[in-house]
Amino acid sequence: MLKRVILDVAYFLNSSTRYQSFKLSVYNILENDKNRFKKYVDIVMITLIFISVTVLIREVKHPVSDSLVFFSNYVISVIFFIEYLLRLWVNSSMSKIIVTRSEHDSFLSREPNLTKAFQEIFKTKMRYILSVRAMIDLLAILPFFHELRLLRIFILFRVFKLFRYARSFHTFSGVLATKKFEFITLAMFASIVIFVSSVLIYVMEANNPSSPINTLFEAVYWSIVTIATVGYGDVTPITTEGRFVAMLVIISGIAVLAFTTSLVVSAFTEKLDEIKEVKNIEDITKLESYYLICGYESIAIELSKKLQKSQHSIIVLDSDASRIDKARKDGLIAMNYSPGSVDSYSKLNIDIKKQVKAILCLHQNDIENVYTALTIRSMNKDVFILSLLMKDANRKKLEFAGINHIVYPQELVGMITKELVGKPAAFEVIHQLRSEYTNVDIDEVALTTRIVENFPTIGSLENKKYKVIVLGLFKGSSDKFYFNPLDSTILENGDYLLAIGYSVFISEFEKSLHMKVENV
Amino acid sequence: MSKTSALIFGFNKYALEIQSNVKTKYDSVKIYALAGQEVVGSEVEPELFDLGDEWSSIEKCIQEEESIAFCVLEDNAENIFLTISLRAHFKDLIIIAIASNNESANKLKMAGANKVIPLVETTADIISNVLERPISNRVLQSIIYEESLLKIEQVKIDNAAFFEDKHISDIDWSRYQGIIILSLMHQDMSHEFIYAAKLKKKPISNGDILVVAGFETDIQEFKKLIGSK
Repeated sequence: MLKRVILDVAYFLNSSTRYQSFKLSVYNILENDKNRFKKYVDIVMITLIFISVTVLIREVKHPVSDSLVFFSNYVISVIFFIEYLLRLWVNSSMSKIIVTRSEHDSFLSREPNLTKAFQEIFKTKMRYILSVRAMIDLLAILPFFHELRLLRIFILFRVFKLFRYARSFHTFSGVLATKKFEFITLAMFASIVIFVSSVLIYVMEANNPSSPINTLFEAVYWSIVTIATVGYGDVTPITTEGRFVAMLVIISGIAVLAFTTSLVVSAFTEKLDEIKEVKNIEDITKLESYYLICGYESIAIELSKKLQKSQHSIIVLDSDASRIDKARKDGLIAMNYSPGSVDSYSKLNIDIKKQVKAILCLHQNDIENVYTALTIRSMNKDVFILSLLMKDANRKKLEFAGINHIVYPQELVGMITKELVGKPAAFEVIHQLRSEYTNVDIDEVALTTRIVENFPTIGSLENKKYKVIVLGLFKGSSDKFYFNPLDSTILENGDYLLAIGYSVFISEFEKSLHMKVENV
Repeated sequence: MSKTSALIFGFNKYALEIQSNVKTKYDSVKIYALAGQEVVGSEVEPELFDLGDEWSSIEKCIQEEESIAFCVLEDNAENIFLTISLRAHFKDLIIIAIASNNESANKLKMAGANKVIPLVETTADIISNVLERPISNRVLQSIIYEESLLKIEQVKIDNAAFFEDKHISDIDWSRYQGIIILSLMHQDMSHEFIYAAKLKKKPISNGDILVVAGFETDIQEFKKLIGSK
């Protein structure tokens, strides 16, 4: 009967969407660095830790109010206890283990063996409980029993909890973990040296009445202080034999210190690129909107400069390491990942739908651009893709790959030449309007609801006052451009004015549209 | 004098693209391939030239006042050498050259090119406009490259009396005859924006060239009014 109830509850919990999503939310808040609420939880916990430690320090020589002591000992402990239980809960799924075991047994036509399931649950939970992090969490709760004076010192364990919230510590421990074998070897060597030298110095010095080394503990203490090259000088050998041992320990100490330093340095050097990459991925995740450039060649380099000037965020992807180096030197976030692989986008946490304004396939190679475009289209159907076309024969392939806008440099040369020889004046004017190196500019002024409430018609605009020409009005509703519209033309939300004038005057004109709104 | 002949130096995709775009504008369009270049199997039969020769054979075929030259060799150094060679032999020839970047563009100008198209910068400009100013890009694209009714043209004023001695700044150009006056063009083809401070006290006089935007019919009407020939 009890077995049936346990199985029913396990199946219910395992299939309950509400329960699972709640558990996932708790997990994300506690463990997932990408969760937007986690940092607030972390800040609260860090604050509580500092309050506890401040109370402990204050208590040493000054009286502390009972309410603050109560808060530190009970309230904070209870909060930490709840946190501990929640982490224990989300660490593994009991219901899943029971269901899996039950399915396994039923597949083999056996009665579900819950004892084995509970053994597995016990093992899984114990594995978590005995982990360093969980142990620190548990010790941080102990000050709850503050009547036992010794346990109050466990408040200090709350400081260790800070490591849980400090990401740099995770990085540091992760880097050192890569040299685990070397560190174990070093520890073994140091332990042997300490042990041998402690015994030797004890044998040499302990029977000499004027020697400060009288016990084995003092000998070990002296050995560690010496091998660490700290050398306090409070305990020193006085016999010739003892001093001879000291010389050996000092030389060993130099070796141990040098070896340790070189291990840490080499671990960091080897992991430096990885650390930088992790940092870059974090930066990419934080960006709200950016252009994704696939392929960093001459046109991409020039375009990046222009987009950077306009304060746009840019991410560069290229499988060529030397081009990525160049992009990084140019001050861009550049990742040495293939833009033609779906895996690259998931590794880099790129959310195409939410973050990417447009994807620019700027490899000077049609095959790579088609491959990249198809990769992107397999993940997202709507994102705007612009691509270079190097051979006109490949145009249809690029269109078929779902590229929204194709730029064919050769064709541009032909068209520019035609315009240049046919209508030099028009060409010069348009070139001037398009180029960022002249003062005269053409700009798109977006009309919002509040602007059109104050400037209902073209005639009500004060563009002439600002020496700005309104070349035309783009009607968002009909997707049509109206050249030189009449004064009576009604402006609507979502329309765009195409304004020509000196850049400063255009921005003044834009400001005036908003200013009037603010003055109302 | 209007040009009747186009000479394209370099036999590559740019040359063919230029040829297809300008062939209706000139009586003759000749492509010159660099000696030693592979031209077999091509639909176009280019003539040959050598950067090292004395240009004597080509010199006879080129009427520099009636011709326009395009230097489109893909190697920057060769293209600059070609441009400087042409300028050395033909003082008044209009030379338009392509450059892979701004650095080469400056050198080509120093070598005597009248107009240089920096490929990388131009392409990047176009892409940047597509991304940042999609609407204006669409409009300008349709004006200059497509068969749109909307045009940008240069009109010469031959009947300044029509404006009754007014200054350029006195006229509300934005509402003039359905057209928009964008700039005033100087003899050296440089432009002055119509609202430029320099034009504030400039009287309208015969020979002034205005750059106007408008529908073709309106521009023709405007031309009639100002007596543009």
